[in-house]
Amino acid sequence: MGKQNVVVVGGGLAGLAATMRLAEAGIHVDLISMVPVKRSHSVCAQGGINSVNEYTRQQGDNEWLHFDDTVYGGDFLQHQPPVKEMCDWAPRVIDLLDRLGVTFNRTSEGLRDQRRFGGTMYKRTAFAGATTGQQLIYALDEQVRRWEADGLVNKYEYWEFLGPIVDDQGQCRGVVAQDMFSMEMRSFAADAVVLATGGCGLVFGRSTMSMICTGGAAARAFRAGANYGNGEFIQVHPTAIPGTDKLRLMSESARGEGGRVWVPKKPQDSRDPMSIPASERYYFLEERYPKYGNLVPRDIATREIFDVCVNMNLSVEPGRLCVYLDVTELPPDTQKKLDGILEIYEKFQGDNPRKVPMKIFPAVHYSMGGLWADYERNDKTGGMVMGSLRNQLSNVPGMYIIGEADYQYHGGNRLGANSLLSCIFSGLFVAPTIENQLASLKDGSAADAPSSLFEGAVKEHKQKTDDLVGNQGDENPYHIHQELGDSMTRNVTVVRRNKDIEETLSKIAELNARYKNVSLSDKGNWTNQNLSFTRALGDMLLMAKVIAQGALQRDECRGVHYKPDFQITAPDADNPKELRKQATTWCQSFKKKNDQWLKSTIAKYKPGGSGDVEFSYEDVDTSLIPPRPRTYGLKGAEIIEEVWREMLAAADNDKKAKVGA
Amino acid sequence: MSKSFTVTIQRQDDPHSPKYSESFEIPYEPGLNMTTVLQRIAATPVTSDNKSSTPVAYDSCCLEEICGACTMVINGRVRQACSALIDNVLEESAGAIDVKPMSKFPVVRDLVVNRKAMFESLKRVKAWVKVDGYHDLGSGPRVSPHEQEDAYPLSKCMTCGCCVEACPQFNDKSPFIGPAAVSQAILFNANPTGKIDRDERLEVLAGPGGIADCGNSQNCVKVCPKDIPLTDSIAKAGRDTTLYKFRQFFGR
Amino acid sequence: MAHPTESVSLQDKNYFLVRRLHSLLGLVPVGAFLCVHLLTNATILAPGEAGGEFQKSIERIHALGPLLVPVEVVFIFLPLLFHSLLGFQIVFNSQSNAQQYRYGSNLRYTAQRTTGILAFLFIFYHIWQMHWFGKPVGGGAFELHGAAGAATGAMTTAVAIQQAWWIAPVYAIGVLSCVFHLANGLWTSLITWGITIRPESQRVAGYVCAAFGLVLAIAGMGALSGFRTFDVKSPPPVVTDGHADVTSHGH
Repeated sequence: MGKQNVVVVGGGLAGLAATMRLAEAGIHVDLISMVPVKRSHSVCAQGGINSVNEYTRQQGDNEWLHFDDTVYGGDFLQHQPPVKEMCDWAPRVIDLLDRLGVTFNRTSEGLRDQRRFGGTMYKRTAFAGATTGQQLIYALDEQVRRWEADGLVNKYEYWEFLGPIVDDQGQCRGVVAQDMFSMEMRSFAADAVVLATGGCGLVFGRSTMSMICTGGAAARAFRAGANYGNGEFIQVHPTAIPGTDKLRLMSESARGEGGRVWVPKKPQDSRDPMSIPASERYYFLEERYPKYGNLVPRDIATREIFDVCVNMNLSVEPGRLCVYLDVTELPPDTQKKLDGILEIYEKFQGDNPRKVPMKIFPAVHYSMGGLWADYERNDKTGGMVMGSLRNQLSNVPGMYIIGEADYQYHGGNRLGANSLLSCIFSGLFVAPTIENQLASLKDGSAADAPSSLFEGAVKEHKQKTDDLVGNQGDENPYHIHQELGDSMTRNVTVVRRNKDIEETLSKIAELNARYKNVSLSDKGNWTNQNLSFTRALGDMLLMAKVIAQGALQRDECRGVHYKPDFQITAPDADNPKELRKQATTWCQSFKKKNDQWLKSTIAKYKPGGSGDVEFSYEDVDTSLIPPRPRTYGLKGAEIIEEVWREMLAAADNDKKAKVGA
Repeated sequence: MSKSFTVTIQRQDDPHSPKYSESFEIPYEPGLNMTTVLQRIAATPVTSDNKSSTPVAYDSCCLEEICGACTMVINGRVRQACSALIDNVLEESAGAIDVKPMSKFPVVRDLVVNRKAMFESLKRVKAWVKVDGYHDLGSGPRVSPHEQEDAYPLSKCMTCGCCVEACPQFNDKSPFIGPAAVSQAILFNANPTGKIDRDERLEVLAGPGGIADCGNSQNCVKVCPKDIPLTDSIAKAGRDTTLYKFRQFFGR
Repeated sequence: MAHPTESVSLQDKNYFLVRRLHSLLGLVPVGAFLCVHLLTNATILAPGEAGGEFQKSIERIHALGPLLVPVEVVFIFLPLLFHSLLGFQIVFNSQSNAQQYRYGSNLRYTAQRTTGILAFLFIFYHIWQMHWFGKPVGGGAFELHGAAGAATGAMTTAVAIQQAWWIAPVYAIGVLSCVFHLANGLWTSLITWGITIRPESQRVAGYVCAAFGLVLAIAGMGALSGFRTFDVKSPPPVVTDGHADVTSHGH
């Protein structure tokens, strides 16, 4: 009987957390990653990681409130038990990271310092300088290196995951991967495969994500039968620095300290911005939201910037979309406070933002959606059953999904500083499940499966690769990618209109047809990055379809998914009685909308067709916290909330009455 | 304006092939950086003399100078390609740009090198905190803000290889493990729990390739993109190994 | 980069000790001897009778009598040999990139290795030319006493220095190499031994070491010019006390 083995694909926070936890349990892990794991995209996270802590507890905070903030922030689109379990574990996750030597910022007493992040009233966020993600991943990387030195972990860095190996019974038995240096392709037998392969920002061309975040791995699992959930939920960050190669984050603190957002009233005014008089500047956030000014919530800032550039054609530059974020008028002392982030701008743009307004634009930032994963509800606690064979399991037995690649923790929108938590939590939490699964395997290990299964899988991928390399056509993969990104960014990000999305869907169909004629400029068999990119492009086209089609079908507004044509008309009456009437109508529409759309989008790959995707909808477990309207910025928000509470209470009484009868 | 500039890249098809150089004409636009230039070459790999070539292989990932992937030698100076703005690079070299792979690691292809040796060094110096396990054992030890301020800069090391590339002591003939690994040993020796394995790390630093092989050229600290005080770590390693050897000699 | 092989050589086993010994011996006794040597030579510039003060200084050294040879061997030649041989290994294992990275400390790094080699060659030449070891092979010019107890220390040295036009420049290069190597070696040893850690303290140590080197360089160059301009035709004074027979082989 062969030795039992687990393959973890992806060496970011989630993959490393799972690997170290499995190795600790004495389970051998093959860790496959396209880049040395230390270079994974997790390093880019700046802000911090959330958990309830002693400090916030004394202000009335508890795990339940963290849970509530998370599902409210996610517009109730998450199954609640996994989120509750995550928030319950959060304080212990941070404690563990602390013990691993993460250089969290400290108070004068030597305790972990915390800051407040968006979407909550409490200072829940522990942080390590301005590079928390980097510090966390290094701590986990070091632990994995320790197990590697002990022989329990084999790292395969610069290896690309090509697809899972699924046997005739539908059980995942391993993966096929390719050495990105030698281009050698081989199979890895595994009793459990864990996908921790991150997000898919590159579908949008340039984003705040790293070059490896193509969604390629998720698409390959999707093709092999794994379902994809809530693909259309893509978070956009309002302020990023538009670079020629990628979009880099510009922290919200620039606006927090008094930075002002504006565009010249004359479209693409070519004058030096400093010479444009105030009367010819359009401070659109201040004019449209006099109460909040430049500090409107992220999603609103994002939509308005987008609207000004795309719909009003007031972008600062003719060739690319951007607006000014101006800190030049701030006093030197205030500018000094922003030194850290202003230096990033200066380093990558070459302009001094203390003297010239910064050019910024919203950028795709995070995929809330991802591969579908299961959980087992613990009826006693409302959380998950630890070690249950179902936790984090995809619909393909033997294949588990964790981290950003997993759809289940953030619903319709992710709170800041919750992503690092969900990655590490799901990585740690999947380990007992896999331990139990390996223990339950009575018929030996995957290595005992017929070798023809593995050989066949490798052969199939070799054939696909040979076909791609041998393709004779005249289409350039980089140009197709650019067109895909442009169309997706224009029509399927911030403001979504069905006719625009349809336009993008036909663009995707066109690009798919052109992709068949794609030609590689490098047909060699050594470190062929051209091949790797072109292969991922095929996957991106599939992910684009999942995202765009999901967005087209979801006719509502929820979380980051904003469709102005399906927005419930906001109350506007001044007369209290009339306002209450409108609020009641609003709540009825809200209920109706939830009845129809409070469901996860589940995409399924339909083989045989022309890359077609089939959609279904899954009910969301909202058994712990009943959904309620997000009324931020709405007129009569309090009345709406009041009416909603009354409606809930009435429904409750009805239910009780029925049970009583 | 159709300004353009020339980028000359040292290429190598695989570890056993000869080096050769190829030039590419890149249309100028403001805000370019080296990674964008390499992306443009990948999209249209046509050389200055109009011959079609293959895309130049290179490492890149985050493009924010925090992952450490895209280290290369640009105009003779090792640095990250993502933060190498073309405007600045052109200023250094009067209109032409010269790009080479790092010279201290085996070339895989073109600008891609194999930096495995650096990660192996991290294993040698046991750059980790040996915790009992990953179950819940309460929070970690208290750390003063002062200690955190010392540790954080060292902990920003992204194993990019700039320090060893510029180090005249890190080469084929010398066993030196390089500034990055020395600094990591010092980082973990300062950690309240990591301290427990201090002597094991110092033993490595006292051995062949350890701190005695530093030649104090101090290039490391000057080329480090993260401004890590590498020479502080090196001097501390000198002091700590000396004291350790004295302790060892006199029976602790 | 090259990983040490499985079989641990004797040098590898005592790696740290050997390297630290190299650093220490460079300072004491070799460096200390250089200071004494240059300062002694500088007495050639002392006022009064030409070479008189110099003669007195070297007489004091040679007062060791028969012990001088073992002292020289144990405290100067062997440490110097050890420092040089290991030094050559260090030079061969380095890969200077001062052309590429023109930082001050990197230029000094390269200069340390270059001056090490120059110093070694110069000292080899110097010993052949002056020390009685060199006599069998046509060197060994220095004589503490001439016939009838004449004080010929300064005279024989000056004659040797003035023998050809290129000798004084060779001495200048050689002595300055030794001085730089010592002063810069002192600065790096403060880092090696972990005494100066922060860049600020290293900067201060840099000034101190530079001043130290400057003083030694002035002493060395002064002595050289003293011997270069010494009037070799004037008759040497006669020494009155009587070590002449014992130490006639010079220093």
